[in-house]
Amino acid sequence: MSAADNISTILSSGIRLTVPLAFAACGEYLAERAGTMNISLEAMMLGAAFGSVATASATGSATAGLVAGVLIGLLIGLVHGNLAHRLEVNTFVVGLVLNALVLGLTSYLITISSFDSHQVSQVSVPWLRDIPLIGHPLFVERWPVYLLLLVVPLTWWLVERSRWGLELRAVGEQPQAADVTGIRVNLRRRQALLWCGALAGLGGAYLAVGEVGSFNQNMTAGRGYIVIAAVIFGAWRLGRTLLGCVLFGLADAMRLALPALGLTMNSQLLVVAPYLLALVAMLVFTTRNREPKSLGQPFVRGST
Amino acid sequence: MTTVDERARELTPPSTPALRLRGISKRYGPVVAADNVDLDVNRGEIHGLLGENGAGKSTLMKILLGLVQRDSGTIMRGDTPVDVHDPQDAVALGIGMVHQHFSLIDALTVWENVILGDTGRIDRAAACRQVEEVSRRYGLPIDPTARVERLSAGERQRVELIKCLRRDPSVLILDEPTSVLTQAESAELFTVLRHVVRAENRAVILISHKLAEITAATDQVTVLRKGKVVFHSATSETTPPELARQMVGRDVSLRAEGAALGMLPVDGPVPSGEPPAEPPPETPAESAAASSDAAPATTGTAPALRLRDLTVVIDGVTVLSDLSLDVAPGEIVGLYGVEGNGQSTLGDLLSGLILPSSGAVELAGRPVELERPGALHRAGLGIIPEDRHSSGVVLDMSVAENLVMKSIGDVSGRGFVSRRKMHAVARRLAAEFNIVAPSLDAPVRSLSGGNQQRVVLARELSAGPGVLVAAQPTHGLDVGAIEDMYRRLRDAASGGVAVLLISTELEEVMALASRIAVICSGRITGVLPAAEATAERLGMLVGGVAA
Repeated sequence: MSAADNISTILSSGIRLTVPLAFAACGEYLAERAGTMNISLEAMMLGAAFGSVATASATGSATAGLVAGVLIGLLIGLVHGNLAHRLEVNTFVVGLVLNALVLGLTSYLITISSFDSHQVSQVSVPWLRDIPLIGHPLFVERWPVYLLLLVVPLTWWLVERSRWGLELRAVGEQPQAADVTGIRVNLRRRQALLWCGALAGLGGAYLAVGEVGSFNQNMTAGRGYIVIAAVIFGAWRLGRTLLGCVLFGLADAMRLALPALGLTMNSQLLVVAPYLLALVAMLVFTTRNREPKSLGQPFVRGST
Repeated sequence: MTTVDERARELTPPSTPALRLRGISKRYGPVVAADNVDLDVNRGEIHGLLGENGAGKSTLMKILLGLVQRDSGTIMRGDTPVDVHDPQDAVALGIGMVHQHFSLIDALTVWENVILGDTGRIDRAAACRQVEEVSRRYGLPIDPTARVERLSAGERQRVELIKCLRRDPSVLILDEPTSVLTQAESAELFTVLRHVVRAENRAVILISHKLAEITAATDQVTVLRKGKVVFHSATSETTPPELARQMVGRDVSLRAEGAALGMLPVDGPVPSGEPPAEPPPETPAESAAASSDAAPATTGTAPALRLRDLTVVIDGVTVLSDLSLDVAPGEIVGLYGVEGNGQSTLGDLLSGLILPSSGAVELAGRPVELERPGALHRAGLGIIPEDRHSSGVVLDMSVAENLVMKSIGDVSGRGFVSRRKMHAVARRLAAEFNIVAPSLDAPVRSLSGGNQQRVVLARELSAGPGVLVAAQPTHGLDVGAIEDMYRRLRDAASGGVAVLLISTELEEVMALASRIAVICSGRITGVLPAAEATAERLGMLVGGVAA
């Protein structure tokens, strides 16, 4: 294989590994802007991955699997939102519990069931796919990948331009002030979690019925946490968050490609890379921190 | 916005009150926050609401805004009784409030803040235009695209006003609006309010404890005390001393009461064996303000506690400004003022929770390195913090553990806490301070407020401090526990401890302190010997007017 082919292969695998992260990141970004540190992202992705494969197998349609994934993400978002922003349970505890629950549940369910393999179809963009080096990686993809072209600008517009987004940002920054102004703080936070659930579900489902076509135990393998790291790496800016996802996706692709390239490097190091990057990012950004001021803090009327 | 002028024209004559409260009452458990309050607020007038803490001003306004529900009474807009269940109702009734805290989102821009709470699509250009229009009309210059976090306190106030006025309220409520403003900014604010009232025939309720402000800016003034309306007058027909007296009340009866209860401060030299570090209270102080600096410096010995030019700036707001105060050994100095004038910041500072921007704390003549955790404690300063639940005790740890918390080293050996030693110390302290607890291993949470406070006091005094700072030491305690606390503070002082009593309760300060320092807007406005502290003089100082 030529060097160009190698690059093209790594790029294409990197992009495929980035896509689920990017979907989930759009969701997590919005939830965090509204003030929820949504740890249950992992549960959303993993649950959706399982649900999509199960549904695809039952209906014979990979697209139905994608929809099921979104619904499962929404369901987990609904549970998280009601526990954290109605019953005021600590959001981190809720997230960790949901993650453990979904991991255990899917691991069990996969042992007692068998599913047919289904995958969404591939779209190959004429002309553009022939561009050297990047043509194949960017323009021959499973069709849900192109949903990102819709989801990313929509997320940005919602947060930065819509009234809903303005209220979300207010709620994530100073919920007391938002409350006095007449915004229903916990309702907005629950809504943000639903958006997050839907997109994380889409990401998880894409991983299963998009890339692999089947489910295996713990198939997200911490991708939810990687996305949370990406949002931190991106310092709560959508563009930089997505850049973080691309970096992490490429690092993952490198790890997979190393043996094929005949390089002997400890691949564990590359597994660690995203977390190291996030850690460094946190160190760098502490000085000009743009973190939503009330991130992770529950809102109770009357308390200050 | 265009309807304002038309509306002003078709309004009823200014004599019809815009807002009438009749017999409004509100209780919180046994505490009466508002007691049968009647209030008429007229169009075209600024109505001042004057009162100390807990007088019921805020409760009344929260009722008007729908943040709190009244127990009884009627709210009338014009002649129609109305109900205010939530802030949205208040907006619909044309009642707007300029909040001092928690109302602007720092990370958003001015125009975003102004339209927050509206509905419908966002039109940035229109929003900016509106902000500029309102800003021009009232002379409140502001850049609509500026981020609020970059604005000064005065500019933020303008944004608050614009946000409120844009909704075209007929009654505008301002709660202590000048507490974070400079003099010039305050003057500017009152000019705007004049315009709002005169030209647009709105009604303004101005809540304040600053006498100068009330006399300069209002047309009518109502004084609240302990939830009741005690005084009402046209501002032009009353005087600051009269208002001060009405606000503080309780006049001369106070010292007589104190004497009857055996709670009068020790007059004359303190029985500590040391020469009193300040002139005895009989010496007439030439000027109240001057005596603060002059008094303790006259003798050679250093004061036990010296606060020197303490300035604290939090989020761009100067909370304490050049605060200086000395407390001599064996003396109780009361720091008195209306809540929110920097007392809790001073308490936090003396607990080591925050650092001053400038200035120093000296204990026994030596400056304390405030950056080092526990430095104040090691230098011999004990503190009864204002909020005992969050910083006084650990509620879920045992009485014994709480009692030895600051001296764990003394009850442990080889890295282990000796339960035997700990219990010995705890038993001794519990007996000495009459701490009533089911057992020494019971969590502090299970104790009554008075006993919790005794745990704090016992722990702090057991370290043998040279200085004891007591911040609101009797908040939430019953009468017996209050008297016990008073006795112990007095005992501590006669044992040579310098006691700084930070309190918003005048009775408390009068009962304990031999000197009273009054704090207003983070500054000491004056220091009076207790004997010379009349309600009028204190009222003036509390109101920020040097007596």
